[in-house]
Amino acid sequence: MTRYIIRRILWGVLLLILVTALMFVLFRILPAGEPARLRAGRNASPRVIAEIRRDLGLNKSLPAQFWIYMKEVFLHFNLGYSYYSSAPVRGLIAERLGATVSLTVGGAIVWLATGLPVGIISALRRRSKLDRASMGAALVLVSAPEYWLGLIALYLFAADIGRLKIFPGAGSYVALASDPWKWLTSLILPWLVLAAGSAAIYARLMRGSLTEVMGEDYIRTARAKGLSERRVVLRHGVRAAINPIMTILALDIGTLIGSAILVEVVFNIPGVGQLAYTAITHADFPIVQGTVLLGALFIVVASIVVDIAYAYLDPRVRYS
Amino acid sequence: MSPIRTFALAVLAGALVLVLAACGSSSNSVSGGSGIKVAKGIQTPLNEKLTGGKRGGTLTVLDHDDFEHIDPGEAYSILDYEVIDATQRPLYSYKPNTFASPSPDMAAGPAQISADGKTITIDIRKGVHFSPPVNREVTSADVAYAIERGANPNVVNPYFSSYFGSLVGAEKADGGPFPGITTPNRDTIVFHLTKPNAAIVIDALVLPLSAPVPEEFAKSYDAKKPTEYGNYQVATGPYMFKSNAAGKVLGVGYQPGKSATLVRNPNWNPATDSRPAYLNQIDIEIGGDTTVIGRQVLEGSDMAQNEAPAQPSVKLAYEKFRDQLEISPGAGDHYIAVDNRQGPFANVNLRKAFWAALDRTAMDKARGGELVTNVMTHFLFPEVPGFAQAGGLAGPRVDYNDYPEGSMAVAAKYMKLAGYPSGSYTGGKTLQVVGSTGSPEAEDAEITNQTLKNLGFRTKFDLVEASAMYSKYCGVPAEAIDACPNVGWAADFGDGQAVLDVPFNGKNILSTGNNNWGLVNNPEINKAMDAAELVVGATARANAWAQIDRKLVAQAVAIPYDWNKQPYIESKDVAGVGDLWNTGSWDYSYTSLK
Amino acid sequence: MNIGPAELLVGAGGESVGGLDFPIAGEGVAARSPRALFWRRFRQDRVALVSLAFIALLIVVAIAAPLVVKLLGLPGPYVQNPNLTDQFGSPLGPSLAHPFGVDQLGQDVASRVIYGTRVSLEVGIFGTAVATLIGVVVGVLAGFYRGFLDTLLSRLIDVVLSIPILMLGLGIGAACAVRGCVGGAIQPGLGVIIFLIALANWTYVARIVRGLVLSLREREFVQAARALGASDARIMFREILPNLVAPIIVYSTLLIPLNILFEAALSFLGVGIRPPTASWGQMIAAATPIFNTAWWYMTFPGLALLLTVLAFNLLGDGLQDALNPRTAR
Repeated sequence: MTRYIIRRILWGVLLLILVTALMFVLFRILPAGEPARLRAGRNASPRVIAEIRRDLGLNKSLPAQFWIYMKEVFLHFNLGYSYYSSAPVRGLIAERLGATVSLTVGGAIVWLATGLPVGIISALRRRSKLDRASMGAALVLVSAPEYWLGLIALYLFAADIGRLKIFPGAGSYVALASDPWKWLTSLILPWLVLAAGSAAIYARLMRGSLTEVMGEDYIRTARAKGLSERRVVLRHGVRAAINPIMTILALDIGTLIGSAILVEVVFNIPGVGQLAYTAITHADFPIVQGTVLLGALFIVVASIVVDIAYAYLDPRVRYS
Repeated sequence: MSPIRTFALAVLAGALVLVLAACGSSSNSVSGGSGIKVAKGIQTPLNEKLTGGKRGGTLTVLDHDDFEHIDPGEAYSILDYEVIDATQRPLYSYKPNTFASPSPDMAAGPAQISADGKTITIDIRKGVHFSPPVNREVTSADVAYAIERGANPNVVNPYFSSYFGSLVGAEKADGGPFPGITTPNRDTIVFHLTKPNAAIVIDALVLPLSAPVPEEFAKSYDAKKPTEYGNYQVATGPYMFKSNAAGKVLGVGYQPGKSATLVRNPNWNPATDSRPAYLNQIDIEIGGDTTVIGRQVLEGSDMAQNEAPAQPSVKLAYEKFRDQLEISPGAGDHYIAVDNRQGPFANVNLRKAFWAALDRTAMDKARGGELVTNVMTHFLFPEVPGFAQAGGLAGPRVDYNDYPEGSMAVAAKYMKLAGYPSGSYTGGKTLQVVGSTGSPEAEDAEITNQTLKNLGFRTKFDLVEASAMYSKYCGVPAEAIDACPNVGWAADFGDGQAVLDVPFNGKNILSTGNNNWGLVNNPEINKAMDAAELVVGATARANAWAQIDRKLVAQAVAIPYDWNKQPYIESKDVAGVGDLWNTGSWDYSYTSLK
Repeated sequence: MNIGPAELLVGAGGESVGGLDFPIAGEGVAARSPRALFWRRFRQDRVALVSLAFIALLIVVAIAAPLVVKLLGLPGPYVQNPNLTDQFGSPLGPSLAHPFGVDQLGQDVASRVIYGTRVSLEVGIFGTAVATLIGVVVGVLAGFYRGFLDTLLSRLIDVVLSIPILMLGLGIGAACAVRGCVGGAIQPGLGVIIFLIALANWTYVARIVRGLVLSLREREFVQAARALGASDARIMFREILPNLVAPIIVYSTLLIPLNILFEAALSFLGVGIRPPTASWGQMIAAATPIFNTAWWYMTFPGLALLLTVLAFNLLGDGLQDALNPRTAR
């Protein structure tokens, strides 16, 4: 078991290195913004540009730049400095991580809390009106673009511009530490929007999974033993049905950092996603590389966790 | 955002102020001396009170865009100026409500020009101290160092060679002392020129480069490439960036992309400064949607937006919050730069056809309509000397200029002259058009694109972020962009040279960071500009540059469409004072809370 | 763009995707081929049929967009009309002449929504097709040859799946602006979007196909073909590929709506389809500065997106149920 875990983690690290290398090459080869020029501002003379290129290390050969960057990231955890403001990338990401984590973790909790119960009830009352209605609504939510839902939510409910002024509008996020109540209320709409599509998916998943489990033999046995229906469902049914869902959840949280960009942009939440978005449009590569690396890190960690969990539950996996 | 420089008007404005005082609210609108009207009931920088505000309080400023450079030696856009103006004291500066001659700021009095016009002597004001941690009194050596560092390649100063290039030894200067600037004693600074263009050099001393910088403190930062002095800067004005004990601003008083904080400069002596400085603190929050910002500012309290509000905000302010809206009459312009050097637009008749075809009123409507724009008909701005001589509001009366809503008939005439008898372009070249994202730039770019299509052109059209548009595409001649619809200009000070020289003089074409976006290089016009630079006397200069403006129109070097009237908005309990010269942004040193 | 593809990997019912389920005909009843059964089940699913009809309608509208616009008496999608904005440049709302209102340039929103069908369908169908093609090739090679080739391709898939796809899309989209990339081979707009969709999706198809091929290659009919001396290529094309057709159709149909949303997201963020081409996502982006006063400009493209994606989702669900009746709803 230990050997499997070590192997898995080593592969994860190798994955990160490969992803970083890939991103580095990609953003150097693609003809994007010329960073020295962008950094120099609008009126720099060629002499200034040359100086900046030298300072940013852009005049070295590509392999040399690559080697230096990889060394810095993996040996010193130094993600470089923004081309625009000279601020350290690591610092910029660190101060925005709180907002993104608040958004994504909170959103995940909301969608689990709404999606799973709906899925369970739908599975138990298959083909009833309730089932059809909730699965129908789920399908509609899955089909709508998140940012559109966000705009509609703001249009209807934002305190500053909405028709029904219930929730704080875009841009009202504050850190948990400074004002907990405002932190909470400013995140309610973003959570609902982020969770909408996912709640629907998890409801469908739970419904399908539980339906299949309830048809299994051991459920019949449990009933025959005289256990109450509720016990049968919750203790045996849901517990078994939830396994594949946990897999997906782990992978989902892994990819969430990346897909939170849209919600962050619409609601103007100062998170990592918004940072990445601004940096990309400014061709501020160190920040872009840093945020992509962060996203990849989450994905890799999530899949390692899932794989180890599976290996624990199913010994056959360890030997593949 | 266009590279808006500082803006000022010369002598004419003195009369302007009198005119305003006389005809105030008796008509539907308030006239600028140039005929530019600002709608009734709207405050302008010209008619606001500079004194009598309440002391104290914190102003929250919401800006969608971040600063470009906060180092006084590098700053060159309105957003940058809003903080520089509150924290730095250049040799001369403009009071908020005037276009007239600037007032001595760090200087103790007006500049003395020698008989041959090649030496300028200025006395430095005594009793001005740097903010912590430097603390000591400012001397002439600090002003000298500030200007010298403009030549330092680590300090990205965009105008040193344009305005200070005539100082002796300026070409070879690299950040160290050079013969053009001498300091005979701690209270005097002397400039030595190679040619008698003292008028322009003195005008340029309102720019932040002349704000004093302590050499012993800044030297180590200026040695970095690029300089880091901005992140550690000290102040001489009533406010300073919040900093820690070592003087570090980055991360303390300025979080790039997020926020900035200005606090009172404890070493500022009000007796040496005419600025009242009512506010205790200014909190600037960066980012967010401009429309949402507009709403928050108008409906909230203690807030202001210090950049051009989005069109829906202007409309909302005009309809519901009129006394929270201020409009500055002449702020700058926007035009379409077309490649004069190669491609279809190297042909003057095609340029004229484009000018005739463009619906300038539609372009202006997308920017907010008559409240905030005037149809642009030539290249000098309203309120700049020479504007009237160059044609005033209606501009030179040529047929391609006579139809603000565009005329396909006149356009067809010039297409025929260009060699396309059908009136439609039949050549093979596909035009590369690069605009900037955001509203209303994207809309103006799309109208431009459609106009070109109506003329028969095939276009490759793209929108990129504004700074990328300038630094990667439109500002790089090698990219050969055929049309840049979203470029604009604002004058550094009230002189025709500041409006026309850099964008239209062939000698100013740079291989990178180019501001002559149309690559205009007409030998006759170049010669006229070089001669006009040396003209002395306000009226003579006005006439000389007006003639150049007419030549530019005759050659249709670019396609004008908008003279800005800059709007800006505040909350109901803010007594904002706007700067006329800085394209109308709020001046923190004069603004107070009600 | 989160969970969808992962859902594919695990199957809508929670079971791992691995085998094909061919139902066994009962005794005494004439056996039907699996394909016939698949279609029969599909034909009985009314919701899926309605969705299919709706999609067919969309395809017709997309192809005949100019005609549709003319029939409805609307101006073209690129006709700018400054008279339809008020004195401040704000657009006018829905009216008889312009049922969905106009945008800031006076362009008719209904007309643009109709033309937007073209972009979404092109991107969804064509982009998914490219991704599917690549995925099938990789999946078949990996599953058939196994060994080193399989390990290499599987590891490559791992790497690609580790990259946050929206960020990658943003980065490449921004980098390929104006002049395009790879020497101009990938142009901004549709070219970049299709490239990104292919890049993002081929891994899911490859994994599924690989799994299917792995189980198929052990079946008797493949062993038989091999015993008869058939070449590798012949086995892949004649024996294995035909059995993959149904699942490939199902899973790629499930990918289409995700890709439509992906393009809309990229256009919303400014790196997808460029104006003046009408793309629903790009229209929502353009509507954002004025959405609280000009609700129509944001609402109708969003509804169009919703209905189109919903139709494809329902169709995909129907196909999947027809393929795997155990998970039928």
